[in-house]
Amino acid sequence: MANGATIELLYFARIAELVGKRGESLPLAGPVSGGELLAQLESRYPGLAPASRLKLAVNQYHRPSSVTIRPGDEVAVFEPVTGG
Amino acid sequence: MDARAPRRIVVGEADFDAPALQEALRAACAARAGAVAAFTGYVRDFAPGEPTSTLYLEHYPGMCERELAEIGDTALGRWDAAGYVIAHRYGALDLGERIVFVAVAAAHRGDAFRACEYIMDALKTRAPFWKRETLQDGRSFWVEARQSDFDRARQWEPDPPPSTENDNG
Repeated sequence: MANGATIELLYFARIAELVGKRGESLPLAGPVSGGELLAQLESRYPGLAPASRLKLAVNQYHRPSSVTIRPGDEVAVFEPVTGG
Repeated sequence: MDARAPRRIVVGEADFDAPALQEALRAACAARAGAVAAFTGYVRDFAPGEPTSTLYLEHYPGMCERELAEIGDTALGRWDAAGYVIAHRYGALDLGERIVFVAVAAAHRGDAFRACEYIMDALKTRAPFWKRETLQDGRSFWVEARQSDFDRARQWEPDPPPSTENDNG
């Protein structure tokens, strides 16, 4: 986030496979909701369609899709966790 | 929560020494630990009738440790517990290997049991790990999250919020 006008996206597990990468920087001029970001990703990566449920973590905290994402944030996209 | 309470998070690829972690917790809690409750989770067959060959656990470094510590600290604040240790592995695991270990020390067994169970239930739905299973015939798939795990975790919520948003992103 050299100029602060990007977000760092991280993809995990099946989402990383469907998107074909583990992460990327995305230009972001201003705040956007989690839901808007997910919709953007879904149109950018039609391969995401089989994903069951997309979940978000912002700066390493679980957040609902109503969360506000700002330039400079680290945003992780994944399906429900299955540890333990 | 006592700021000096022994709290330990271990996230690693190598196997961990569960008995040693438990004994270290007990020793650190000294006379306050009248009870230690412990849980160990092992790799098992996930698809009945289709033998698992190996399991691969992906994780989100940093968030894992933070989330586990938050879960453990919540347990210490909610029950009269003296300390905890939570260990979780990632990477390739064979059938029968340890995946997860939780131990809680408390003055009395009730607090130890409940805090340990809470930590496991919260971990299953919050700690950012994902299992990929490979069957003996070579087929491979990401393990699906189970509704029963969400239901169990929800039981611990002190005041379940009305389901105005289903929070599925």
